[in-house]
Amino acid sequence: MSLRGGFDLPRAQVGVSRWRRFRASVDWPLVLAVVAISAIGLLNLYSATQGTRHAGKFDQQVRWVFVGGAAFVIATVIDYRAIVRLAWIALGISISMLVVVDVVGHGAKGSERWIYIGTVGGQPSELAKLAVIVVLARFMQDTAGAPPSWQSLVPRIVALVIPVMLIALQPDLGTASLLTLVMLTVGFLAMRDLWPMVYTLFVMVLAVPILWETMHDYQKTRVLAFLEPGADPTGSGWHTRQSIFAVGSGKITGKGYTEGTQNQFDFLPEHWTDFPFSVWAEEWGFLGSFVLIALFGFLIVWILNVAVNARDRAGAVLCIGVAAMTFWHVLVNVAMVLGMAPVVGVTLPFVSYGGSSLLTFFLAMGMVASVSLRKHGY
Amino acid sequence: MNVASPELTRRMRWVVLVLLFAFGGLVVRLWQLQVLRGDRYYHETVENVVHERNLPSIRGRILDRNLVPLADNRPAFNLYATPRSFTPLVAAELRRLLGLSDEEMEKVTARISAGRKRSSRQAVLVLEDMARERAARIEQERFRLPDLEVRHEPYRDYPQGALAAHVVGYMSQMTPAEVDDQDGAVVDPDELVGRYGLESMWENYLRGKKGKERYAVDARGQRLDEATAAGLIRGDRITEPVAGYSLVLTLDAELQKLAEKAVSSFPAAAVAVVEVKSGRVLALVSKPSFDPRVMTGHLTRAEAKFLNDDPRKPFIDKTLRAHYPPGSTYKFVTTLAALEDGLALEDEEVACVGRYERSGTTFDCTAHHGKLDLVSAIQHSCNIYFWTLAERIGIDRMADVAKEYGFGSRTGVGLNGDSPGRVPTRSFYEKFTRFKIGYTINSATGQGDVEVTVMQLVMAYVALANGGTLFVPQVVDRVVRADGGTVIQYKPEVKQRIDTPPEMVDLWKRGMWKAVNEPGGTGWEHATSAIVPITGKTGTAQVKAKRAKKDEPQIRGWHPGSDHAWFAGWAPADVPEVAIVVLIEHGGSGGKVAGPVAKAILEGWWTKVRAVSTPEPGEASAASPGAGSSSGATP
Repeated sequence: MSLRGGFDLPRAQVGVSRWRRFRASVDWPLVLAVVAISAIGLLNLYSATQGTRHAGKFDQQVRWVFVGGAAFVIATVIDYRAIVRLAWIALGISISMLVVVDVVGHGAKGSERWIYIGTVGGQPSELAKLAVIVVLARFMQDTAGAPPSWQSLVPRIVALVIPVMLIALQPDLGTASLLTLVMLTVGFLAMRDLWPMVYTLFVMVLAVPILWETMHDYQKTRVLAFLEPGADPTGSGWHTRQSIFAVGSGKITGKGYTEGTQNQFDFLPEHWTDFPFSVWAEEWGFLGSFVLIALFGFLIVWILNVAVNARDRAGAVLCIGVAAMTFWHVLVNVAMVLGMAPVVGVTLPFVSYGGSSLLTFFLAMGMVASVSLRKHGY
Repeated sequence: MNVASPELTRRMRWVVLVLLFAFGGLVVRLWQLQVLRGDRYYHETVENVVHERNLPSIRGRILDRNLVPLADNRPAFNLYATPRSFTPLVAAELRRLLGLSDEEMEKVTARISAGRKRSSRQAVLVLEDMARERAARIEQERFRLPDLEVRHEPYRDYPQGALAAHVVGYMSQMTPAEVDDQDGAVVDPDELVGRYGLESMWENYLRGKKGKERYAVDARGQRLDEATAAGLIRGDRITEPVAGYSLVLTLDAELQKLAEKAVSSFPAAAVAVVEVKSGRVLALVSKPSFDPRVMTGHLTRAEAKFLNDDPRKPFIDKTLRAHYPPGSTYKFVTTLAALEDGLALEDEEVACVGRYERSGTTFDCTAHHGKLDLVSAIQHSCNIYFWTLAERIGIDRMADVAKEYGFGSRTGVGLNGDSPGRVPTRSFYEKFTRFKIGYTINSATGQGDVEVTVMQLVMAYVALANGGTLFVPQVVDRVVRADGGTVIQYKPEVKQRIDTPPEMVDLWKRGMWKAVNEPGGTGWEHATSAIVPITGKTGTAQVKAKRAKKDEPQIRGWHPGSDHAWFAGWAPADVPEVAIVVLIEHGGSGGKVAGPVAKAILEGWWTKVRAVSTPEPGEASAASPGAGSSSGATP
């Protein structure tokens, strides 16, 4: 049999050439970093759940990793410029899903974050992050020429603030502030003129007391517990203390894989979603923790590198958005685990258990790969 | 193709710097936690998982001379709860399940809150010695109340009930102050500790040493399996407890029962039976008593109040702690003092007219006795004869002899606050008043300010019976290990040797013999026995009038104004083996009331106790009644 297509070259030559071109255009450092971090995530999840009633979570996560891998490939293949063109539609869909969640969502710990289609549930707030990043890319592209008029600017800013408000209303303060941080980061990096961003920041600082007033009691308790962790050893501070014990007890080389007592005997709360880093740090020690943080650091720097080399402004902003999202996720999650930030439900990319988070990051990385693939404009 | 503006590249450099700074911060924090403080946190996580539990040591037993257990251990169901999970809901459920009373519930919550202060995750004892069905109910509901644990542990038991309760004593829970006081020793809060009697005084021997178990738990406090625990815990996981030493007493449970039965009809009494040749105590009764089984653990507030309000003071040992005027049993002091100083003669006769007047005070004799010699005066217990002698000797010389026989100082038994009593001297009175001859007269017949304990009196009579050896009363014969091996064997301890010439003591003994065995004697018919020759001296001690408190409970047969009835003596009369002192508090006439009690006990001892224990050669030849008035009765 011979493979006949729209190519006139001999088959062998075609194959070699396409393979080389593919190999040359695929962003291998990005792929390898993602694969490495995902592998660590799976390894860690296995240790965190083996032998418990949560053991099924590992199999579930493996399935999600395959789904995520497929999503990565698809997002790589699709031209990001097409996605950027559909940005406002994507945001519209996200907003409507968030509205649905706010009205009929299923609660976990007294907040509504989940939406179900049949038996498959997801957190629309995760996908909203992507939509916001894409819209930011579109926005920056639209305003690339001349400074925009206020008339065109205001509705767009409002459109971006709506999802943040909806997420905050769920209430999911962690994701809402994270989204805010991502937008600010992108703003500071991509805006020509930095003064509007400075004003925005100023207004937000003023808004903090109002925000505090609208927070739920359990959220306030967590923030207060963070500020004074010794005050209530069995309450909110308990989580942080146990997490610090776990991390510290790993010492330099760790207690060994699946040997972490804090992890194995349930002293770490929710260690598969919010605290996987303390599981890792307990079992692999300072060396393991350093490697994981270095991998994230490399990934973020590499994405920024892709941004610098992107063929257009939309691609650059897209990458900056993804880098910012990854950065804030890692920073907030690890800082929380190390007792440097309050306990908020922010996941560690590719390591935390959860399909929505995993899928979001795989899609995000796929879009970066798409930008990277098209940097030379073949 | 590259669209990046120089501006973006410039900002990008800043961003990378910020990133390095932020992640660098995380790494520094990791260094701080894992490298600098790693050992400390490692220790914390071990403490999270590895818990310690004390293993109870088995307390030593208290056995009578024939190894009959007076204090033993039995298995009991103790309920433990973890303060952390003891919510009001659990408390309510527990209460419903066991039908706890308000008082019990109060105790449970008090112990939980005390436990919470120490460690909210360490199980504390909330109910000890539960009934079997209560334990069963908790076991049934295990899955609903997972943090309640029923442990099967040894619990103190007193198989003979209240028998010899004052000697054996009882235990009760340590107070928080006592728990803090135990420096070094391993104690559990809520642990029982000896409170009274031997249980208290011999605590260090009886207690033993607690063992320790280290085990692993998960975050919910659930015990992890052995293999996991072995992997987590270095070194020994179990230190075995060491059982306490047991005490073998000199007491004879059989005789003790006899003695307690003999005084059972009296509201308040004391009995001491002591071996003449060794000073070993065979029976020691203090009545009213208490049940150590109730005192150890299950005493309700109502019961405690009842015992504390009792005017007869059940917690004061009437053989050792309480002291009484000895009455005529004390006359041997006067007799011997007079004979030693040559101020009395065997055949000197004194006329008793029933009244004796000195410095404006009239002293009454028990009867109009007429002319009496010394021995008859003892037989009839004529006061006037001894008052006459007393005036010749003086109070201080009598006190000297009294002190020789052990009065005025502690016997040294080391139990229940052994009291020294009181022997008045001239200087004793001159400290606060002008000395009067009346004091001497009162002392001569064991009245006035003479105060002795039952134990002092019996040891004095032991010395009279054995030819002058004043022993330290001995209650513990030996200390033995749990396997039966002897650790310490105690030998009879001599307090002092008394060198009263034997012929003088014989005069007193002849008087004693007549008092019990010849018509007209104060103990005649009351203590006269056809089974075993008994000799002894009665005493009827007047008490100072004391008005009863208004709210004092009324007790049948209890008349606090009546005289104390005494009997002090020994048997067999001429080859003494055991000495006895009986005191019936406010019982009335010594001969009539205390005499029959002494007789019942000594006859019981002769027929039921002595007959079954193998008699040593030479001692078996029991003398017949009537043979005892001669001299040379000392062994």
